[in-house]
Amino acid sequence: MQIRDEKVGAVRVVAPVGRIDSNTSADLERGLRGHAGEEAILVDLLEVEYISSAGLSVLLKAASAARARRGRLVLCSLRQSVREVFALAGFTAIFTIEASRAEALDRLAEKPGGGSR
Amino acid sequence: MKECRTAVVPASAAGVGLAAEAFDAFASARRIPGEVVRSVQVALDEILSNTVRHGYGSQGEGGRIEIGFEIADGILEVTIQDDAPAFDPLAAPVPDTTSGLADRPAGGLGILLTRRLMDDVEYERASGRNRVILRKRMGGATAPPRPETP
Repeated sequence: MQIRDEKVGAVRVVAPVGRIDSNTSADLERGLRGHAGEEAILVDLLEVEYISSAGLSVLLKAASAARARRGRLVLCSLRQSVREVFALAGFTAIFTIEASRAEALDRLAEKPGGGSR
Repeated sequence: MKECRTAVVPASAAGVGLAAEAFDAFASARRIPGEVVRSVQVALDEILSNTVRHGYGSQGEGGRIEIGFEIADGILEVTIQDDAPAFDPLAAPVPDTTSGLADRPAGGLGILLTRRLMDDVEYERASGRNRVILRKRMGGATAPPRPETP
């Protein structure tokens, strides 16, 4: 599958295109693993028309890996059909999901752990 | 009225893709509502991926999967059959979808999604074959017309 990959400021933006299913999820996994060391990762799903559990698993692993290194992973721009699958899997509660890329970049620009302590 | 179609695909990643194409062709020729199509696409992908991974995993290439699509009484039924060793995908433990990120196992999600997306999922082992049946009601859009008299 095609994956657009760019750096916006300090954020690595990974934008897969098309279907993330059992056939193509390995491509996304490779794409994300290449950036495993980065502090802020945004996965933009605007051009993803379909996601299966194989795709969800890849995102779950990437988010867990990011958290283990105290990095952050945010998702944005989920289409209705993709959002439905996230909701059914109970994934909307465990990921940080923003409506648009701009909002997601704002979120990632906030200082990590910047709240009251 | 009953409409059906059967496709036979190799038990491989490419075969899963072919099955998706066969379903898309079946669905678009019959004006199945988009929401039903998307749900069945996901469920079909989950069940077939499972079969390829678990069912034929030890035998390698050569296995075949037969998929039947049928519409009867406003219900879309998809039957998936293979000759692999007995494997009941519905017997897998279901993950707890309320647990946090750290506790979430990556497995078992496919079956969970399939159960939630479909109205009914059934497994049986008969005549040396695995058979999974997915059923999805098609809603008002494709229900048979009401009779004129109340």
